[in-house]
Amino acid sequence: MQESFLTFLGENLQLFLTYTGVYNATPGHLIMILVGLLFIFLAIKYEFEPMLLIPIGFGILIGNIPFKDAGLQVGIYEQGSVLNILYQGVTSGWYPPLIFLGIGAMTDFSALISNPKLMLIGAAAQFGIFGAYIIALQMGFEPNQAGAIGIIGGADGPTAIFLSSKLAPNLMGAIAVSAYSYMALVPIIQPPFMRLLTTKKERLIRMKPPRAVSSTEKIIFPIVGLLLTCFLVPSGLPLLGMLFFGNLLKESGVTRRLAETARGPLIDTITILLGITVGASTQATQFLTLNSIKIFGLGALSFVIATCAGVLFVKLFNLILKDGNKINPLIGNAGVSAVPDSARISQVVGLEYDPTNYLLMHAMGPNVAGVIGSAVAAGILLGFLG
Amino acid sequence: MINKKIGVLLLFALLISFGAKAQSATSMRINEVLVINEDNFVDDYGKRHGWIELFNSSAGTVNIAGCYLTDDKNNPMKYPIPKGDVLTQIQPRQHTLFWADGQPDRGTFHVNFILDPFKENYIALYDADGKTLIDEVTIPAGQLADISYGRVIDGKEEWAQLKKVTPSTNNLTLDSNDKIDNFRQNDSFGIGMTVTAMAVVFLGLFLLYIIFKQIGRLSISASKRNAQKAAGTTSISVDAGQESGELFAAIATALYEMSDDNHDIEHTVLTIHKVQRTYSPWSSKLYGLRQTPHK
Repeated sequence: MQESFLTFLGENLQLFLTYTGVYNATPGHLIMILVGLLFIFLAIKYEFEPMLLIPIGFGILIGNIPFKDAGLQVGIYEQGSVLNILYQGVTSGWYPPLIFLGIGAMTDFSALISNPKLMLIGAAAQFGIFGAYIIALQMGFEPNQAGAIGIIGGADGPTAIFLSSKLAPNLMGAIAVSAYSYMALVPIIQPPFMRLLTTKKERLIRMKPPRAVSSTEKIIFPIVGLLLTCFLVPSGLPLLGMLFFGNLLKESGVTRRLAETARGPLIDTITILLGITVGASTQATQFLTLNSIKIFGLGALSFVIATCAGVLFVKLFNLILKDGNKINPLIGNAGVSAVPDSARISQVVGLEYDPTNYLLMHAMGPNVAGVIGSAVAAGILLGFLG
Repeated sequence: MINKKIGVLLLFALLISFGAKAQSATSMRINEVLVINEDNFVDDYGKRHGWIELFNSSAGTVNIAGCYLTDDKNNPMKYPIPKGDVLTQIQPRQHTLFWADGQPDRGTFHVNFILDPFKENYIALYDADGKTLIDEVTIPAGQLADISYGRVIDGKEEWAQLKKVTPSTNNLTLDSNDKIDNFRQNDSFGIGMTVTAMAVVFLGLFLLYIIFKQIGRLSISASKRNAQKAAGTTSISVDAGQESGELFAAIATALYEMSDDNHDIEHTVLTIHKVQRTYSPWSSKLYGLRQTPHK
């Protein structure tokens, strides 16, 4: 009797053991857990995009706890599990537009309105997307996959998730993590190329201070912006519609409560859900593939191309601008969206060469134009390849 | 004021009704018809009959309950599609099948008429009012057994005898994505995509640039005019309205510093401000205190 009870206990313990994470762990899980820990470390120690890297890093830990596939509905890819339900916002593509609503409600387009030619820098930096697209095609990716990978160069996490969920859902985890990782690493990636492509004289260019912008202009901007860009690229409507709507909430002056909700509690909630689910979607079994490594390489390359394209475009543009109207090429990097980090980098690098030359307000122009440009580019890719 | 409100409400109602129209039964299409069913799809009773496939061409769910199917031009309300059946909710871009067996007692999807294999068959779908024609088709006589007559592409105009019978599914299924194939074949280096897409991105932002350059000019001249009106003079500086953010920042800083200098906490200096209290019976304590209660 006692012996059979012990056998029963032993068998149950053995069965229990098969359910533990320790039993089901693979080297892949451990690698991904280390990646998650690295993200959390970078966010806390160096404050690299902590709002993104903490949720994503912790999400990677959550997504890589090994478990027995016994239909317990715990994994993010198991239909009906809590994580799977939260993940719907990513797969169905409705988190990114809500993030854009918040971005619109917190973005001041004054710098862009006061000096509209800066918009063209935001357009030039989108070469990063298509440079990566060309290289991805040569590496053997399908056109739709290459489009989804290329959008990493737009340096816009929500746009990357939105487009990859439509064009290449199987690559979305790698694309999202890559986009957010490189956005966090913008302070490391961009400055060397900015210095490499500019002369000392160019770095010292002082730009005319932006004029004051009237509230009427600020109100007209989101309306005209929406009508113009979406009539041109209707497939960009979910992102651009929400971006400009959020901005109108901010600038109309009569919907302060709505604007505060959009740029506060709403965007915070969605950022948490987006970050944690994107992180959790990197389950080692789905994520650790050769394609993911290629995507990481292409992502880095796309950021480099975008930075160089922005800086070189300003240099080119300066050839036709009169003295006094010249643009400091150090703001060219800000054409990749990554708001406001890339603009901050223009400021930091500019101050290294002239401690009284503040470029931040000028860099915000191409920076927000980059958001519009990358959303338009995403719309074009979706229209062509979707 | 009330008229204005009524106007706004009416406009709102009108807009809503337009929106509702977009996803009403008017989006339904008769999509495929099989007149002679000898060795084809069987119904839920295991029987073979002719059938009529409807297709929801919209991007929203449509409830066809209350609409009418008919084979008689003079009797548009011949078969009312029963209400209260959850299956009459047709999902976006999805299909549903009606059996033309003349036995409506067998369920919602069994109509009270049959398709005649020897002559042409008229089929129509009417909206719930019984008057609005949503879609109609005349199936030519002489249909072959087990060959359906339908739209070549779901919801589109062209009808033909279909190569494949496809009840409750798409009439044309694709083995590949044409768009992607096209890019794979004609733009293997991605140059075409890059040139086109960058041209569109530049065009979009260039147009924005042009428009806001003009709006900026108008805004500056408007602010000049306003300043002239306010000053009552015609000589306004050319730079009016062009003040930089730095100027405002300098003024704000000066104001801040001036207000900061007014404080009375300074080392070794004692500032005494006269305390003034103006009397008012409303603020008099006397009236605010509770009087000794009278018994």
